Amino acid sequence: MLDAHIVKARRTFTVDVRIQLQPGERLGLFGASGAGKSTILSCLAGIETPDAGEIVFRDHRLFPVGLPLYQRPLAYLTQSDWLFPHLSVADNVCFGIKNHNSDGTEEWIEELAKRLDLTSLWNESARQISGGQARRVALARMLARRPQLVLLDEPFTAIDRSATNDLISALLDWHAALGFTLIAVDHRTEILEQLCTRAAVVESGRVVQEGSWSALAAAPATPQLARLLAGK
Amino acid sequence: MLVFTLALLYPLVGLGTPVGSWQWDGSIPGSTASAVRTSLLLTVLAILIDILLGTPVAWYLSHPRGRDAVVWEAAVLISVLMPPLALGILLSLAFGPQNLLGGWLLRIGVPTSNSPTVFVATQVYVSIGYYILAARAALAAVPRDLERVASLLGSPPFEVFRRITFPLAKLGLAAALSLAWVRALGEFGAVIVTAYYPAGMPVQIWVNLQDAGMPAVMPLLVVFLLTAMPLPWLIHLIAQRRSSNA
Repeated sequence: MLDAHIVKARRTFTVDVRIQLQPGERLGLFGASGAGKSTILSCLAGIETPDAGEIVFRDHRLFPVGLPLYQRPLAYLTQSDWLFPHLSVADNVCFGIKNHNSDGTEEWIEELAKRLDLTSLWNESARQISGGQARRVALARMLARRPQLVLLDEPFTAIDRSATNDLISALLDWHAALGFTLIAVDHRTEILEQLCTRAAVVESGRVVQEGSWSALAAAPATPQLARLLAGK
Repeated sequence: MLVFTLALLYPLVGLGTPVGSWQWDGSIPGSTASAVRTSLLLTVLAILIDILLGTPVAWYLSHPRGRDAVVWEAAVLISVLMPPLALGILLSLAFGPQNLLGGWLLRIGVPTSNSPTVFVATQVYVSIGYYILAARAALAAVPRDLERVASLLGSPPFEVFRRITFPLAKLGLAAALSLAWVRALGEFGAVIVTAYYPAGMPVQIWVNLQDAGMPAVMPLLVVFLLTAMPLPWLIHLIAQRRSSNA
């Protein structure tokens, strides 16, 4: 289970949220740009250090005095792909794999490459590929280690609508197979609705409403949320 | 650009200036071959020390940790800004027998002047600051986000350096190495004070100039140029080729 209380001061407000998720649960963080959603993911991942609070995931204490980045059982897809430019697509995807001979690893990598349409790019340099392809490589690289907690920040930027639907469907299949806990941030509700069963609405660093998408749509807690939902 | 380049290379015209018959080994005390050997062997050693000690420091400085990094960087900068002759004099005084460290080194049998050890130590003192500053810039140019992603993919810090930071910074590190090489090999002001013996090429050129004039200087000068310049070029070319192939 993920139990997180994150306090982190931003320039104009302080992020102060509590997130509790059961193993395998899928939560969508929704809100206007600059509401603090990415800060929450960044603190969960360990890229940013919260000012106060506590983060525990399964048996691992992530904050305070938590595991170093390389020991965290999570995967984080940031808004930028950050592919390793000096490596091939294959080396990027397999970067985090320590033992290629371990149980089902080869098959899993093959499945990722096939489903994310990377087979034809496999030996290309990461410098040579397009933005949409880079996003898919970043997604594959993140999932290659079969993480227990997946954090997605605007996962489908630079990917067209039909490909996005394919990727969402693939992600849901992999979620069913691996059982990872998922937190996704996106400014498009239609993506979060497909990807996540639950939503938490973030405004100025606070969770102002939590629940199912239908509950949110039926009774938005704030005027800003009503405007965001109406504009989808 | 052409005029600037020609002006920049103009000193090489000096090599063709008539100065009389060049004098090779035998006619000059302290042979050319010995000076070349001393310079090359000891400079390689000094550069290895620069790399071993300087790279972790450069890495540390390239990862901002608030105000303390500014203090460390200022300390490195002082070693770069110090005039070589002044550094040489300060080194001989600081490692002299009247100081605690110098006295102790002498007691355990480590000479503190005129020895290969002192030659190498002086070269390290004059070159390591240049290496660190250039290497720091090269390492700082690697996006921190790439290192963080690599960490999140399960790589401990040294592995991140080996697989991400170093390959992406190698061109800049090669430039840092070249700078340190030229600086150490060409050092004269500090070395002549601390390690007149064993004479490396710069000191030997000066001795030849004093004792026998330009004809005795020219052969060693050519060798000096040929040894100082190709290695940085070669390192630079290899790093550039590898970087474009990656």
